Formats: sequence, C-alpha cells, structure tokens
Amino acid sequence: MLSIRNLHARVGDKPILKGIDLEVNAGEVHAIMGPNGSGKSTLSSVLAGREDYEVTDGEVIYMGQNLLDLEPEERAWAGVFMSFQYPVEIPGVKNIYLLKAAVNAIREHRGLTELKAAEFLKLVREKLKVMQMDEAFLHRNVNEGFSGGEKKRNEILQMQLLEPTLALLDETDSGLDVDALRVVGEGINRMRSPERSVLLVTHYQRLLDIVKPDFVHVLTQGEIKLSGDYRLAERLEREGYEGIEAA
Amino acid sequence: MSGFSEWLTDVNDVQASKALAVGLPTKRVESWKYVPTRGLARTTWQPAVPQTTRQFALTGGQFVNVPTDNGLTVSENTLTGSEQERLDGISQAHGFGLTQAALEDTHLILTVQRAMSVVLNLSHLANQASSAGFAALIIRAEAGAQLTLVEQFESTNVEKANLSSLRCLMTLERDSLVTHIRFQAANTSAHLFSNLNIECCENASYRLQTVEFGSKLARNDIYIALSGREASASVNGLAITNGSQYHDTHLTIDHVVGDTTSEMTFRNMVDGKGEATFNGRVLIRKDSQRSATEQSIANLLLSKNARVNPKPELEIYADDVTASHGCTVGSLSKTELFYLKSRGLSETDARAFLQYAFAEAIVDEIEHPDIRKLVETQLLGELKHGELIAELKDSVDV
Ligand SMILES: Nc1ncnc2c1ncn2[C@@H]1O[C@H](COP(=O)(O)OP(=O)(O)OP(=O)(O)O)[C@@H](O)[C@H]1O
Ligand SMILES: [Mg+2]
Repeated sequence: MLSIRNLHARVGDKPILKGIDLEVNAGEVHAIMGPNGSGKSTLSSVLAGREDYEVTDGEVIYMGQNLLDLEPEERAWAGVFMSFQYPVEIPGVKNIYLLKAAVNAIREHRGLTELKAAEFLKLVREKLKVMQMDEAFLHRNVNEGFSGGEKKRNEILQMQLLEPTLALLDETDSGLDVDALRVVGEGINRMRSPERSVLLVTHYQRLLDIVKPDFVHVLTQGEIKLSGDYRLAERLEREGYEGIEAA
Repeated sequence: MSGFSEWLTDVNDVQASKALAVGLPTKRVESWKYVPTRGLARTTWQPAVPQTTRQFALTGGQFVNVPTDNGLTVSENTLTGSEQERLDGISQAHGFGLTQAALEDTHLILTVQRAMSVVLNLSHLANQASSAGFAALIIRAEAGAQLTLVEQFESTNVEKANLSSLRCLMTLERDSLVTHIRFQAANTSAHLFSNLNIECCENASYRLQTVEFGSKLARNDIYIALSGREASASVNGLAITNGSQYHDTHLTIDHVVGDTTSEMTFRNMVDGKGEATFNGRVLIRKDSQRSATEQSIANLLLSKNARVNPKPELEIYADDVTASHGCTVGSLSKTELFYLKSRGLSETDARAFLQYAFAEAIVDEIEHPDIRKLVETQLLGELKHGELIAELKDSVDV
C-alpha cells in the first residue's frame, strides 16, 4: 500500500528527514515512536502534502501512485487522512459545513452519490455517538475553543466519516484523559480492516495497549534506527530511547 | 469642459461658482489621496431624472413616497442653526463638498417623535447613465425614540457611469437609539457618495452595520460625535472589493465628552485589481475621561494586484481611558487552507470557506434577521464558489 524509499525532507536549510525507508502493507498498523524533534510530525506532514517541507530526495509510492506528485486534496481523495498533532482552528467555519463538504468531496471521487442532508445527519450522529461527542460540536466553529482532548476526538470523528485507506495519526493520544483515550483507541480499532493501514505516531504505550500495532519503529534524528514488533514499545517504556541507542 | 462644470455653470449661483472655482479634489487633498477621480472628471454629468416606484426611495436626487408612519413627522422646515453648521462643515471640506452643496436641491427632514419606534426602509434607485442626483436627509430622533433605518441599493445594471450622493445628518436626542443598516450592492457603474454626520446626546446610542460590495466607486465619510455622557456608538463594516472597484470609508468617532463608549470593527476583502481604503479615527478629547474605545481593522488581500490602504488613528488626550486597537493585513492562512484541503476540499472550495468566514464575522452582527439573511445570500453569490456554502447552509443549519 505504502512504500517510502530513502525519503529526505527539509525545512528551509534544515534537513529533518534523512533517508526514511518504510513498507506498509494493507491492513497493517505501524507505530512510530521517537524523541521530541526527531521528525515524526514532519514525516506525516510530508505524506499529507504540507508545503512547508521540501522533499529533497527519495520517493513515496502509495497504491501505485507517486504520492509526492499529488496536491493535498488529491491525496485526501485517494484515501490519505492525517490526524493533526495540533488540529487547526478555523473561526467562522462551522464544523458541520466542513464535515459534510469533506464527506461529499471524497464520495464524489470514489464514484459514490452525494449524501443528502438527512442521510448525512444520520451518519454523523452515529459517529458522534461512537466518539461520545455532543451534537453541539457540529454547530461550533471548526476546533475553535475546543479543549485539547475535544480537538483530538474531532479528528477521529472526521476519520470515521471519511473512511480513509491510509490513516496518519499524529499523537492523537496526547492530552487525552483515560476515558477519552479508550474512546479514541476504540475509534481507531473500529477502523481497522484488511484494506486499511494506519501509521500511528505516539509517545506512549497506553494507546498501543488498546490499538495493538503490527510493527513499532523508532525514529531518531530523521532516520528509522530500529524496528520491531509490539515488544519494542514495551522495551522503550522500560529503558527509554537512551537505553536503546546505547544498546 | 467635463465633470460637473456644465451643470454648475447652469446653476449659476454663489455656491456653484465657488465649486467651479475650486474644482474636484486632487491627490493633494489628504483625505482624497487614493480616490480615483478620473472617472468623475471624464463624464459630463447631467441631473438624473427621478423614476417612479412604490417604495420609499431616493431617485434622481429626490425622495419619493416618503412614509407617513405613526410616530414620524415629515417636514420641509429649515435646518436648525447647528444642523446648517454641520452641513456647511461637510461642504467646505473640499471641492466635492462644495459641489454637493451646490447641486443638492431638497432637504428632507424626518423626525422620530419622542419615545416612538419607527422602521424606515430606504431604497436607492440607480440613476441613468452619465447622470447624477444629490440629496440631503436630516433625521431627528427625539428623546427616547427608536429608529431602524435600512438602506439598500438597486443593482440593475447601467451601461455607463452614474452617480448618487446623499448627505445625512442625524441628531440623537437623549436616550434615543438608532440602528442603521446599510447594504450596498449597487450596479457596477455606480459612483456613490455618502456622508453621515451623527450627533449622540446623553445616553443615546448609534449602531451602524454596513456591508458594501457593489458600485464602481464608493466613498463614505462618517463622523460620529458622542456629545452627551453615556452616549455610545458602534460601527461594524465590511467592504468586498473586486475587479477594478474602489471602496473608501473615512470614519471618525469623536468622544466630545467623557463617559462615552465606542466600538469600530471593519473588514476589507480585496480581490482582482480592487483597491480599498479605510481610515478609522478615534478622538478622545482631553476632558473626556472614563471613555472607552475598541478598534479592530482586518484586511484580507486575495490577489497580487489587490491594494488596501488601512489607516487606524487613535488620538487620545485624556488619561483615564480604556482603549484597544488592532489592524492586520494579510492573505488567507496557509495552515487553514492546508487543513481544509487535507480533508478533501478543493483549493477553490477551501478558499471560499475562508473568505466566507472572514466576511461572516461582520454579516453575523446585522441585527435585522431578514436583512442578515438577504446579505448572506448575496454575499455567497458574490464569492467565487460560494454555492457550496449556500447549499450547506440550506441543508444543515438549524
Ligand atoms: N517550520 C519549521 N521551521 C523550523 N523548524 C522546523 C519546522 N518544522 C519542524 N521543524 C523542526 O524539525 C524538527 C522535527 O520536527 P517534528 O515536528 O517533525 O518533530 P516530532 O518528532 O514530531 O516531535 P514531537 O514529538 O515533539 O512532536 C524539529 O527540530 C523542529 O523544530
Ligand atoms: Mg510531532
């Protein structure tokens, strides 16, 4: 589904990703862990198409297409979804406008018929329930004044509605209370399927206890230094990155 | 000869001769620095002919179908000494003021009686090609009166330059309240001049909500004097400037006495080769203690050739004052655009969303629900790709 080969990216003159190689097959969940500033958000942002980052080398093949050639909206149409580490507040745009417009834009590109208001409302209410969110969030401006945890739930709500093929979840667990962590984790689990892959950036094993990853990678200074299975996360929790680097 | 010279020559009185002698303001007149006067000078302006309509309207410099609502007095009386002085002040500012004074023939005086409540809907009809109308409206809101004045502009297209000028004086006696809604979506050849001179006495409140996206050129000169304690004024404005339009608002709020409050929020959105000027001045005089003012000016530039000339001016001479102000100029946020696009919105839809959001902050303040709806609808028609949002509003708003 996703092949990242020798990916290099920089911001201004500063190289951040220094040769990432990663293979993600359909149905797999890969956790990316690593110290602050190691390039985890940069990797997800480059995959989602944020233009602040310049790719200087390497390639990314997603479902047979050269992902880096696509505009961010084309990537969304092709099934890529990024849950932002810092979800963006958009004053003046109601959440429900964005949700409905996004759902129908993506349906259109999948050759599906547009959802009418009633069908959409039914669907969105269903997903709100899963995320244990109040309907009032629909009529508030996108992320404006949402608490940290509410923003993260809203990201996963969007993911539930957009049904991506490749989900890039950047620290979706940060700032969540224990109950919210379970809701979000289960929200992610519900989305697991043989056709769908997940790249899960996290600092904590707590989320990985709920969403069991198939692989765990350690990103340090712009490179994947270590890969393993679930047990690697447990080792990190015990020994920290320093312990692992020393080994 | 061109511009107003022939007309002024025909009028041939003292004021007309003065206007002729001074001529239209040049770039050297500071307050007219950015106004493109070439179009004004190139047309040989004729007096516009009033048209028939059933509405209360301003057409060809005349007010027609003046309402006779309960609580409203219509008079042809002469102006009071102070009203005449205020009008003369506008006339003498520059050559265009003199021209307005010379070519105005009627003054309509409307009085909202003590403690009465009146709603006035004034339509501005388009004047014919190469023709102009000049009028003055004097509004007196007596003690405790409430007036809602809604002004709208006919948008029917006129193939050539047309002009309309209205100078409006309002005096708000103690405890009166005026809500003034101005929605300007006039034809794209219109040259519109509006002077508002407002005086608020003790505990009177003037609220202006103005949305402007029509006309070729629009110039608004607004002066609000808070001359009685506890008087307040608020102005919420939006101008959308596109193509080769020019929109210009010069607004002064004068805290003549203390214990007065004002709020000024103005947004410009400029696209194409449009140019917008906003001059927002707040004056708090030396003895106007315990006054408060809030000023916020935001300018959104949507194209390389768009221009904006914002000038906030806070002149505070009193020391016990609460004042806040902010003025920004920028383009659409890249981060917000990316967020929307990452959810599958096309570039054009994402831009439409953010433009709508910028404008809606002002439109949402319109206190008259029917007008707010009308303005929203027309606003969405004005925005490129606004139809997606229109459809969303229709389908999911509760
Ligand atoms: N726009 C930018 N300008 C300058 N430096 C940047 C920019 N974006 C990222 N960086 C730098 O790139 C490095 C990697 O940042 P990134 O956000 O990818 O880290 P991260 O692994 O996600 O960290 P965290 O765990 O704290 O979220 C950091 O040193 C960061 O300061
Ligand atoms: Mg990060």
